[in-house]
Amino acid sequence: MVVIAFPSTSEKTISRSSLRAIFGMRLSKWPADTPVKVFVMKDDAPEHNAFSKILLQVFPHQLRLAWDRQVFSGQGQYPEQVASTQEMLFKIASIPGAIGYIKSSEVTKNVRILQIR
Amino acid sequence: MCVSFKFAKAAAWIFIQGVFLLWTSFAHAENFMGNELQLHGFLTQGVVTTSDNNFLGQSNKKASTDFRELGVNASLRPTSDVQVSVGILSHKAGKTDNGQARLDYGLIDWTVSSSERGRGGIRLGRVKNPYGLYNKTRDVAFTRPSILLPQSIYFERTRNLTVAADGAELYLDRYYEDGSLFVTFALGKPQIGSEAAKVALIGLTPNGRFESNLTPILNVIYEGDGGKYRLGFTAVKIDTNYNPGARDVLQAGRLTSTHKIFSAQYNAEHWSLTSEYALRPITVQRFGPNAPDSTTHGQSYYAQGSYRLTPKWEALLRYDVMFTDKDDRDGKAFAAATHRPGFSRFSKDWTAGMRFDVTPQLMLRAEYHRVNGTGYLPIQDNPNSSTLVQRWDMFMLLASFRF
Repeated sequence: MVVIAFPSTSEKTISRSSLRAIFGMRLSKWPADTPVKVFVMKDDAPEHNAFSKILLQVFPHQLRLAWDRQVFSGQGQYPEQVASTQEMLFKIASIPGAIGYIKSSEVTKNVRILQIR
Repeated sequence: MCVSFKFAKAAAWIFIQGVFLLWTSFAHAENFMGNELQLHGFLTQGVVTTSDNNFLGQSNKKASTDFRELGVNASLRPTSDVQVSVGILSHKAGKTDNGQARLDYGLIDWTVSSSERGRGGIRLGRVKNPYGLYNKTRDVAFTRPSILLPQSIYFERTRNLTVAADGAELYLDRYYEDGSLFVTFALGKPQIGSEAAKVALIGLTPNGRFESNLTPILNVIYEGDGGKYRLGFTAVKIDTNYNPGARDVLQAGRLTSTHKIFSAQYNAEHWSLTSEYALRPITVQRFGPNAPDSTTHGQSYYAQGSYRLTPKWEALLRYDVMFTDKDDRDGKAFAAATHRPGFSRFSKDWTAGMRFDVTPQLMLRAEYHRVNGTGYLPIQDNPNSSTLVQRWDMFMLLASFRF
């Protein structure tokens, strides 16, 4: 699994703590001040499971609970859910500020890979 | 209850259901003038039956359905730094809450500064109180560990005091390599003017109203290793004045209380352990001869384990204890002074429960409580203390739908 972002994103690397804050729906801006737009797959998708556990190092059910707590107290919003790898690639390639994840083997030239530092 | 009132109640309920259905028919996220508008909600229905005593309605040897939670909320982010959110809640809980729809929260959240190391901001309006691990979403069944939150700390009885406050909340997040620190400081007025809040504090007989001063709350949570462990501390300073009613048994007194809660949680992939400990000293002054000046040291704690058998099934076991007065744990001194049962001054609750997530939107739960003491039972559902029974059992079922 790799983290992918909109191709002209200023960043090439990202820290795990920022990644957790972004996917925890707490950090909503890139350092260059552009809004972050988070895309995820369904909770039970194998890609989501692998991304959560290996890259974020957060259990997927903990991530869901963190979103629920924020949404139902008025403090945050849910990330946008995509149905397929193709949709993930399309969104990340076309929406400025977009961030998501994908299997390494399915990366295309239209998205930027963010290395975790 | 007169016929027209019954009709009005039914009409109000149908109206709420209509709004709910309408809400579900909108998509989860809409584009609203170029910004994302998210609409969500939940509908929870519980059934409660007890061997003795009443909880959440007339449950004594009967099945009570007077436990219902219905909420809808909307949020909009006009810029990446600002979120406007509104939540409406109808909470039916026996005689303590009639289910009237009210503003649960309504706030504007402005992130003043943010970087990859953290963020800081302010929430203004009606804000959910940052109290312990569960209070902010205490009425959302999906975010609770059980049907009933541990009553030693998240009382149904006194929920109006702690649920939300009108004012401001400052927040500061720090994101470190090893974990994250979340600090929240809130200053607001709790919703304390209601009859239920008055009864919770001083009982049924006095007929006055409480008025609260600004209540500060400090909440600090450290989440280590992506949330594998969470350590928390909360301090709340409640300061209220009592305005007596006509020919009241109490005079214009003052009630103050500083609650401190220590929270700890460990989350493994398939199991979680959670414990919270609270100190609740309550001081009453100048209420007159019927309530002499005093300080009562309340104490509460629970330990809870949950195990995820499969992604859809979760089992829970908890021991939950509260003492109204830790210097009179068994209530003997209280019983001698008041001729009311000493066991109404504590409760020790063993809970076993199961959760089944049928789909991500639909959850079913069952729960059994074996309780010694009636300390957390609301007076409104049990007005006659001579009918209370010390050792009682409770069985609960719950279904919750969300979108």
